[in-house]
Amino acid sequence: MANNGSGPGYASPAEAMKAGREKLLYTVALYVGTGVEKPDYLATVDVDPDSPTYSQVVARTEMPQIGDELHHSGWNACSSCHGHAHMSRQYLLMPGVRTSNINVIDVSDAKNPRHHKVVSGEDIKAKTNLSAPHTVHCLHSDIIISMLGDADGNGPGGFLHLDQNFDIVGRWENDLGDMKYNYDFWYQPRHNMMVSSEWGAPNTFMPGFDLEDVGAGKYGQTIHFWDFEGKKIVKSIDMGADGMIPLEVRGMHDPASNEGFFAATLSSNVFRWWKTDDGDFEIEKVIDVPTIDVEGFPVPMPSLITDILISMDDKYLYFANWLHGDLRQYDITDRANPKLTGQVWLGGQLGKAPEVNGVTVQGAPQMIQLSLDGKRLYVTTSLFSTWDNQFYPDMKDKGGQMYMIDCDTENGGMTINPDFVVDFGNEPNGPSRAHEMRYPGGDVTSDIWM
Amino acid sequence: MAEQKHRVTINNRGGAVIEVAEDQTIYDAALAAGFQLPIACNYGGCITCAGKLLSGRVRQPKGTALNKRQSQAGYILMCVARPKEDCAIEVGVETHGQLYRNPFAAPQKRSV
Repeated sequence: MANNGSGPGYASPAEAMKAGREKLLYTVALYVGTGVEKPDYLATVDVDPDSPTYSQVVARTEMPQIGDELHHSGWNACSSCHGHAHMSRQYLLMPGVRTSNINVIDVSDAKNPRHHKVVSGEDIKAKTNLSAPHTVHCLHSDIIISMLGDADGNGPGGFLHLDQNFDIVGRWENDLGDMKYNYDFWYQPRHNMMVSSEWGAPNTFMPGFDLEDVGAGKYGQTIHFWDFEGKKIVKSIDMGADGMIPLEVRGMHDPASNEGFFAATLSSNVFRWWKTDDGDFEIEKVIDVPTIDVEGFPVPMPSLITDILISMDDKYLYFANWLHGDLRQYDITDRANPKLTGQVWLGGQLGKAPEVNGVTVQGAPQMIQLSLDGKRLYVTTSLFSTWDNQFYPDMKDKGGQMYMIDCDTENGGMTINPDFVVDFGNEPNGPSRAHEMRYPGGDVTSDIWM
Repeated sequence: MAEQKHRVTINNRGGAVIEVAEDQTIYDAALAAGFQLPIACNYGGCITCAGKLLSGRVRQPKGTALNKRQSQAGYILMCVARPKEDCAIEVGVETHGQLYRNPFAAPQKRSV
């Protein structure tokens, strides 16, 4: 994107909050596992209420290869590069978890993104013995990507280092310690820290979710703290039954802060993490969503906290319960004692809100993205094609949805906006699944300040 | 020496018959014949390309992503399956009715 000569992003989280309302939103849209044998694509959604095409997909950018399973995405540059006038937030990197391809999308024309190049999954496997790319963060000038498997799809994976031209530099990390699995990560150079989480090996999670795999130790329950400059793990905390499948890791946006939160998805607990004054790392469980006994289900159903984020002002924490079907807002002013301030229901296994805004919800709240000013929370309903097909089998024929939640940033509270719904069941090539979302100018889950 | 080829009939694609070499995957042969089947990892690590083997035998590497239940239901992975003899198969997500089950549901309540 064009910038004002001061480099990408914003000088501070407070400046980002003043950026003005988002007009476009990008989301990955998938055909993997739907029966539509076409490549996944990037959908550009009009989120400008004054536009005649508000709440519609206005551009579709197809990937060159079928079967990627686009999942998460990240920028070539974010606010960590603010002040570097030669850089710009021009490229969105969109990894395919199943093919290991990394698609690079040029968003110079924000309303009409173009496919720029592919970093081939086969090339990545051959050069780094890594596969299944996931989280992308720009690293000042370069890019690192968490990789969930080795070239054969087994753990522990590692971190892929790309340069500014998206050429493979090699593996980023020096020492993985006892890391068994990989997933998401967040970093903060000011405190020389990075935190990474654990899903499972690609060969375990790609075919679908099996409780026997949990019992066999094939899913993660450990959180890792890194010496960021040394590129090595310095502390790993095994959380046992309380911390099964830790996924999204978020840090506070204020770069002076040395703490954050993450969710243990299967255990459905939220943990706070922080670096102590003497350089150690600690965690504590701060939210516990109880399981629910559902008739006909012999195993108590966890809420399955699949995504979590922190507002730009570090005041609110939001998360999605993909099985129970609710979205929650917590006031985290008192970091150790989050207070529930808002909740809405969309779809889900409990049947509390099967239809919203005139559309039958396929799936439940899953990926979330918050506006920079904190007032609008966008949500999509697909998790991962094979897992969707297990828990919400109708989604493959009817497509996923995107909704918008109005958030009260003064007193807390959430309301589903009645005028916004994007039904990916109506896509021209057939129903697709929508997953992670990004704004052209940066957002609360991509931007890190130095 | 000419490579051994087998005839693979795709029952739910109008009974189309494709010639598949012994060291060729059914996915590759079908694609060459103009049938785009589901595909993703292309190494047997996920079940996106699963379809059903109705008759005949195929060779698949050990350790594919199919579990015992799925294999017993007749699924094979087209991205790694190579025919050992003439076969009949069904392909695509329309065959996936028994492939997925909700892991929290009782076994007897699984959907067809």
